[in-house]
Amino acid sequence: FFFASATIMAAAQLTDEELSSELKRLGFVPGPVTESTRPVYLKKLKKLREDQQQRGARSSKGRNSGITSSNSSNSNSAAVAGAAGLGAAPARGDVTPPSCASSPGGRAALGAKRSVSAGKGALGFSSDESDVEVNPKKRGLQPGARRDRGSGVQQDRPGPNVTLGVLGKEGAGGVCSDFGKSSPGQLLLVRRSGGSAAPWWGDAAEDSETGRREADTPESRSLNGSRSPFGPNSGSSAGRYSDSEEEEEEEEGRHRNRRPSSRQSPFKSPSHPLRSVRGAAAGSGQEAPGGGAVALDDSPGAGTPDAAGERRPSEEAARRTAWGVLRNRSYKSTADSLSDIIMEDCGSAPHSNHHHHAAVGGEDSGARWGLSVRPRYAVYRSLPALARQDRCNHTAPSRPYSPLSALSPPPSKPAVPEDELLQQFRRDEVSGGGRLSAHSLSTVLLTAACLFFVLLGLVYVRMRGGGAAQTEGVDANYEKLIATALEWLIKTGEDVGIRLIGSQPGEAVTTVSKITHLESTHPKMSFICRFRRAFFMVIHRVLLFIAGVAVIFGVLLYVKYRWRKEEEETRQMYDMVEKIIGVLKSHGDACLENKDLQPYLPIPHVRDSLVQPQERKKMKKVWERAVAFLSTNESRIQTETQRIKGADFLVWRWIQPSLTCDQISSIPSKVWQGKAFPLDRRNSPPNSLTPCLKIRNMFDPVMEVGDNWHLAIHEAILEKCSDNDGIVHIAVDKNSREGCVYVKCLSAEHSGKAFKALHGSWFDGKLVTVKYLRLDRYHQRFPEAVGCITPLKPSSKHMSSLSHLRQWPSTDSLLGFS
Amino acid sequence: MSSTSQKHKEFVAEPMGEKSVMALAGIGEVLGKRLEEKGFDKAYVVLGQFLVLKKDEELFRDWLKDTCGANAKQQGDCYGCLREWCDSFL
Repeated sequence: FFFASATIMAAAQLTDEELSSELKRLGFVPGPVTESTRPVYLKKLKKLREDQQQRGARSSKGRNSGITSSNSSNSNSAAVAGAAGLGAAPARGDVTPPSCASSPGGRAALGAKRSVSAGKGALGFSSDESDVEVNPKKRGLQPGARRDRGSGVQQDRPGPNVTLGVLGKEGAGGVCSDFGKSSPGQLLLVRRSGGSAAPWWGDAAEDSETGRREADTPESRSLNGSRSPFGPNSGSSAGRYSDSEEEEEEEEGRHRNRRPSSRQSPFKSPSHPLRSVRGAAAGSGQEAPGGGAVALDDSPGAGTPDAAGERRPSEEAARRTAWGVLRNRSYKSTADSLSDIIMEDCGSAPHSNHHHHAAVGGEDSGARWGLSVRPRYAVYRSLPALARQDRCNHTAPSRPYSPLSALSPPPSKPAVPEDELLQQFRRDEVSGGGRLSAHSLSTVLLTAACLFFVLLGLVYVRMRGGGAAQTEGVDANYEKLIATALEWLIKTGEDVGIRLIGSQPGEAVTTVSKITHLESTHPKMSFICRFRRAFFMVIHRVLLFIAGVAVIFGVLLYVKYRWRKEEEETRQMYDMVEKIIGVLKSHGDACLENKDLQPYLPIPHVRDSLVQPQERKKMKKVWERAVAFLSTNESRIQTETQRIKGADFLVWRWIQPSLTCDQISSIPSKVWQGKAFPLDRRNSPPNSLTPCLKIRNMFDPVMEVGDNWHLAIHEAILEKCSDNDGIVHIAVDKNSREGCVYVKCLSAEHSGKAFKALHGSWFDGKLVTVKYLRLDRYHQRFPEAVGCITPLKPSSKHMSSLSHLRQWPSTDSLLGFS
Repeated sequence: MSSTSQKHKEFVAEPMGEKSVMALAGIGEVLGKRLEEKGFDKAYVVLGQFLVLKKDEELFRDWLKDTCGANAKQQGDCYGCLREWCDSFL
């Protein structure tokens, strides 16, 4: 194998031609070797060489061949992670000598494990492939393997430990080098296969780890069995722990995965004491073996990577911390990407999605996990974890939007796919819009309440002054006292709460005799009275305000309406003018050819020919304006009076002699231009599925001007499907970027015909594509279409949009099948 | 027909035009982003690679795995999707 790898190293220096010729020599004809295909061909070369080697060396290395043959057979299926492969490969070479001292049983167990679990290719990152279908296979393998391991190894304890210690290092090395090749697939694999709780993965850092973690999982899983001194279950965990980096990765990786599984599993309760135990022993590596055992008792049944075991003493812990720090730094970004992976997958599997998010912190045990995790792995706690926690708190209440809100917090790179995903969700979720308006509604209410309180406060402030009271003399004694008091009041300038008012309000009061009124500056009105006054004042103010706003609004609306009306009329006028010019021009042409005709046309005759009888009254104003416009602005038309058949008419004469300069050959817009590809079974559904169609790419909303271009689109569609009288509703989505038009037909058969007529045709320079829509969705979107049953017809027989096609009869009607 | 996904059917039903690489069957958000980072930002670029590899299944799958880390199922979906598209439109 090392010989092979040595040659492989050399292969990196091959030039393209050499690579090509090497491949040909081995019997494989390659395509062009470019920079993007080079790595693929290198791999191919490597594989071909290995096959050669293996064929030659099969007899000597039984184990190798078994593994490599399984490698080649399973080249594309997921199995043991790359780390296992990589760890296995060098381990086999390097570790074999030292491990010779260790128990052969352990070695055999490992070897057996490798072959059982269909060891992956020689390349480290084959861990990338993980698959749903492989999971059950793996799962099936694991328990058997573990059980074998456990039973087999119980006899020799020390051996496996040594071996595994070494392997752990190897694995670490392998892991280190392959960090770049993260694989979300692996994570998914574990999640799906996860069935049991892994409580102390709950403790593992919430930083999501790369697939490398995942890669290690199967290996450690199988290794577990061979390690435990405590029996199969605890053995598995212990074994896992001794490979600190692997187990840590597993922990952190599985942490995310196990949690959802833990939701389903009954292992929650036993996991709790374990978790608390672990929480207590923060990073010290002093796991209670009992706790480990507790968790493990439950695990065997699940046949999935189990929970914990106990921890080895401090060396593992130390290693783990070191690894953790390293990993923490390097995996921040991948953590985010992984979270997206999880999210993405969650999107597709809402059930587990709920679990994920809930598990990550939204629900009870999740929260507890989060809590217990934090003190233990303070060093791992970083932004991603916190963000996730927050996210989960968000997501717990609003479950269907958990992907939405979960995606929004992570700050770093996954901004673009988030947006796309968000957009996807927003499009699909009709209630999303409703949610937004509810949001705005609440803010509006809040501001209204604030305003109200502010107003009330202002009113109160104003209330302190106001109201007058008259003095009343009661009897003589009082009068004297009152007089004295008033004098004193005048003399002192203090404000005692009484204001003195003379007969003229502005005048300063200096003597008692001048006082006619007293006013209290701090009136003590009853609360009801005050409240009432305040209330009315507020009401009046508010009403005034509203009235003012309404008036302004009304004025604005009116102005807008008038302006629109004006525009409309002007446009009509110009249309009319153009029509008149057209008529006159054609008449002029006809006159040139046919000398019998009069070269002028009476104005009323033109009007009557252009304007339908029922519209004449309506269009009178427009007509007048058009005539006025023509007489002032059109130089090619001369207005004169002629006598026709005994009556005087105002006539128009077309006086442009030459015709050539006026032939503005405009590129016809909005016409059908032929078919791009024949419709056959493969690019169209064999039978029409629903009566509703969505037609894409018929226009570009940015390029369209005016208000009524969508009618042209309607016309075009009706004309194209003129043989199909089953179209009952057409809707042009003016705002869609893709130029979407929605069509409803009477039946699926009609829509099938329309599909054949429209799909793949060129319209206005764009390739039109059609797909079927569900009827209920269509009705949701266009409720007015529910009652449409009358087929639509193109409004004119002119068939302007098909004018191009008429010259080249298309054969598409002959193709296809109905 | 029964074993192809909705995405596959949609992709194969019409010319790919300027569709993003995520419209390919088997290529989701994450893989799509990885492909985009490598410069394969549109489906037609991946089609180009597919054709340069002479529509060979194994090579294309290997390439896909190397470039974006697709698993076996994803590779298979993508390959099948592109192959059928080529059969219809190429």
